[in-house]
Amino acid sequence: MRDFVLFAHIIAGLALIAFPILILLYLKKKPKWLKALSFATAAISWLLLLPSGKLYITFYPATKTLVKAGSWPWAHDVIMETKEHWGLLLPIIATVAAGLVFTNKAKDSKKWWALLIILSALIGIMGRIIKIGALK
Amino acid sequence: MAKFNFYLGAAASAWLLTVLVVIAELVEPFKNFLKATFSHHWIGKAVMITFAFLVFGFLLRNKKSIGKFSDDKLAWYSMLGSLIVIFLFFVIEFLK
Repeated sequence: MRDFVLFAHIIAGLALIAFPILILLYLKKKPKWLKALSFATAAISWLLLLPSGKLYITFYPATKTLVKAGSWPWAHDVIMETKEHWGLLLPIIATVAAGLVFTNKAKDSKKWWALLIILSALIGIMGRIIKIGALK
Repeated sequence: MAKFNFYLGAAASAWLLTVLVVIAELVEPFKNFLKATFSHHWIGKAVMITFAFLVFGFLLRNKKSIGKFSDDKLAWYSMLGSLIVIFLFFVIEFLK
């Protein structure tokens, strides 16, 4: 169960980096699939809350104990606390970006897709830091 | 007539999340209220900011600005502000 949720979490997180990159690359050409991919990205960002929530609420408490007892307590107190809340804004950001594509303001959506890429990548890196923190 | 204002919905969510994070950390009974109502404070925050996004995006669908600020700029800076304030808040809490 944990592995399935973890893989779903990682794959969906990577999609929130890869799909917006594709969207940005083709934003000017406006291919037929642009709106479909934008919608899919926003949908994935909402669905990602399910494995994220399951990992955080069910499986993270054990990791938290290890992190807090180790030499990197900030990995929980700062990194995890920030990560868990930043993650809540991912679907909002993705929905704004997709909404702009759907309302023919594709040019205005650029910075929102860029923010989604940067934030998703940062959240991934933060997850890695927390994992290392559990072993310290 | 616009059907939904994504910008103002996002701005409302960003502001609300920032307020919820700070209050929940500083006022224990509020965090307990979120836990008691939604089973977990994180779920409570997720539900509340999603609700704010939908409600404000719909109610303010014909607004192009709030005061002197255009809706797009307000949303963008609210979102960046929220991300920065949340991070700094936990840094400060850790250093206290």
